[in-house]
Amino acid sequence: METKNQTKTTAVKGTLTAGMIRELVRNIYRSAHEAKAQGKKVAYFMVASQYDEIVRAMDIVPIPTENYAGLCAAKRDMERFLLRAEEDGYSQVLCSYARIGLGFDSLRKELGKIPENAPDGGMPEPDMMLGSSAVCDPRFKWYQAAGRYLNVPSYSIDVVAPPVQADLNEVRDYYIRYQTEQFRGLIAFLEEQTGKKLDEDRLWETIKLGDEAWRLWYEIDRLRVAVPCPMPTQDHFSIMVAGHYYCGTQVAVDFYRQLYEEVKSKVEEGQGVIPVEKYRLLYGGGLPPWHTLWIFNYFESFGAVFVIENVYRGYDPVEVPSYVKDPVEYLAWRAFLRFTQRHERARKNSGHPVVERLLQLIDDYKIDGVVFHACRSCRATTVGQIHIKNLLGRYTDIPMMQLVSDMVDLRDYSEAQWKAQIGGFIDALSARSKR
Amino acid sequence: MPSRPGLRGSMPFGGIDIGSTMTKAVIIDDNGRPLGSLVGPTGVEHRHLAYRVMEEAARKAGIGREEISFIVATGYGRLNCPFADRQVTEITCHARGVKEEFPDVRLIIDIGGQDSKGIKLDEAGKIVDFVMNDKCAAGTGRFLEIIADTLGIPLAKMGEISLQAREVVKISNTCTVFAEHEVISRLAEGAGVAEICAGLHEAIGGRIAAMVRHLKVEGTAVVTGGGAKNIGLVNVLSRKLDCNVQVPKNPFLTGAYGAALLAKALYERGERGRVERRWEEVTFFQ
Repeated sequence: METKNQTKTTAVKGTLTAGMIRELVRNIYRSAHEAKAQGKKVAYFMVASQYDEIVRAMDIVPIPTENYAGLCAAKRDMERFLLRAEEDGYSQVLCSYARIGLGFDSLRKELGKIPENAPDGGMPEPDMMLGSSAVCDPRFKWYQAAGRYLNVPSYSIDVVAPPVQADLNEVRDYYIRYQTEQFRGLIAFLEEQTGKKLDEDRLWETIKLGDEAWRLWYEIDRLRVAVPCPMPTQDHFSIMVAGHYYCGTQVAVDFYRQLYEEVKSKVEEGQGVIPVEKYRLLYGGGLPPWHTLWIFNYFESFGAVFVIENVYRGYDPVEVPSYVKDPVEYLAWRAFLRFTQRHERARKNSGHPVVERLLQLIDDYKIDGVVFHACRSCRATTVGQIHIKNLLGRYTDIPMMQLVSDMVDLRDYSEAQWKAQIGGFIDALSARSKR
Repeated sequence: MPSRPGLRGSMPFGGIDIGSTMTKAVIIDDNGRPLGSLVGPTGVEHRHLAYRVMEEAARKAGIGREEISFIVATGYGRLNCPFADRQVTEITCHARGVKEEFPDVRLIIDIGGQDSKGIKLDEAGKIVDFVMNDKCAAGTGRFLEIIADTLGIPLAKMGEISLQAREVVKISNTCTVFAEHEVISRLAEGAGVAEICAGLHEAIGGRIAAMVRHLKVEGTAVVTGGGAKNIGLVNVLSRKLDCNVQVPKNPFLTGAYGAALLAKALYERGERGRVERRWEEVTFFQ
């Protein structure tokens, strides 16, 4: 019930390896500028589109536009891009990642150069834009809208997942065939743009690197089951850069290998994020508040540590049958298995795969409370959050809370409101722990 | 809460609830009995005077400010309250204050100037769950305050006026800015003030009821905060939640009273106050 004034604390022990991420982020945009200067192809690129390894195998340098929006927010330099997009007619209710990207493109076009002091040197003009329907519809339409500012081709693929009620044995072949066709369409487009054929051996190589990076990332998260938790959520929201923006490269594998060793040694030494871990929290979903990541320190000042997250590493490793010999089919299989890995369990229990994942995390990680983040401009991760929270409440009585703001638009955030809510949430955690 | 002369010889405790619009202070004796209380404005020009509300409450209790053994601050202004010994969230303070007057209640609806909350309690009065409105002003006292200004009626009379309505004028917008425009349009169309007030209470009560239903609590609810003074709103909440709604004797003071009771409990557990209190101004979130 006590209230603390402290918002930041130096007592939080992040990992040293995660500290390398800042340079990896800078390198994303620096590499893109260098590639442009050398005449290599660069592409606007969407996170978690399942096509990462294809792009890497074609030696195309990706520019992750959503990451750039998050970067602008973390540096609190997003307003000029948001306002520019709104000036161009994009509503404030549209995806704020897209608004930052479109606003940036608009300004760059008007100025004929990168906007002054743009974070990390800004995004160069791409040679192509690769959208996808994975996760949400703005990702399918964003790059089409960007055609207003950029005279480069765009290609969006459909990324599909069956509904939870579907009989997987019945629909599996159809979904995998369709997904394979989507990937082959993208490959044909990339071959046309780059003027070279996809090397299948090279694709297998990037797939192996991608799988290994994601396996290591999973293993790192499993280490966080330990009490006290060895790695803070602030690190999770940093290290996802390797898994998503370096997927299919040795860089990601090396990074996670090093991080795994560090986290493992922290577990062995019993070293936690904060000296006294009173409450273990689950970040239940929603994109993170990139504009105010220090809010996690505020939780920690009450002894509450987020030990696992249901965002950015949305699926665990899967095993594609060994008879799949074609790398493109492998990617389609892998996507299908990732998206359906909790369908069967959901059908038998809550009916909702996300609820199943959360229940599993609550159990495995000894969770005391769940926090969701509703983002006003992200329908995909926000719509259904209350339903998930209510469903979850049928299986657990731990306190849950939904904070509301946006992933990057600071205008949707209220510090006083959040602190009041967090205070109440800590009260509820404390009351439950004394019961 | 009745104010009465101080009881010399007893050990007084203080609670101060520094809300977004009002500052409330309560002094109790070591039996938990109220000795004095005061409600003063918080507003921009008054917030630095929060400590004077405490001093005045002490004066009404018949004691000097230096005699208060332990002070708990709550509300939005609690964080930087230099004369308080401890800060406690308003959720816990409201729960404690309500528990004293309504020991069996499991649901509190606090309608303040800046936010509204639903608080679910267990049988011991401990917080099980809570919900709050988001940062939008709809569903808060501030919403009603702005519309009362637009209608040219005192905020304190709004509830009673709404009871005279022959029909309910539907107000579709829950956004305060748009609702204000809508009210002006309805007035221009000839709608009556009472009917508009009834419509506003339907809108705001519906929004709060929808929020509180998430807590899934049955039985009596207690409404606290300035909103509880609005009989029109309380009636709408009772109807929409289909439950008996009770209002404390002085709903403004519930949080401060709970804070004072917690001050007493903390003191009895061995906590001690500041050696020297800083009777200085309170600073707020920017």
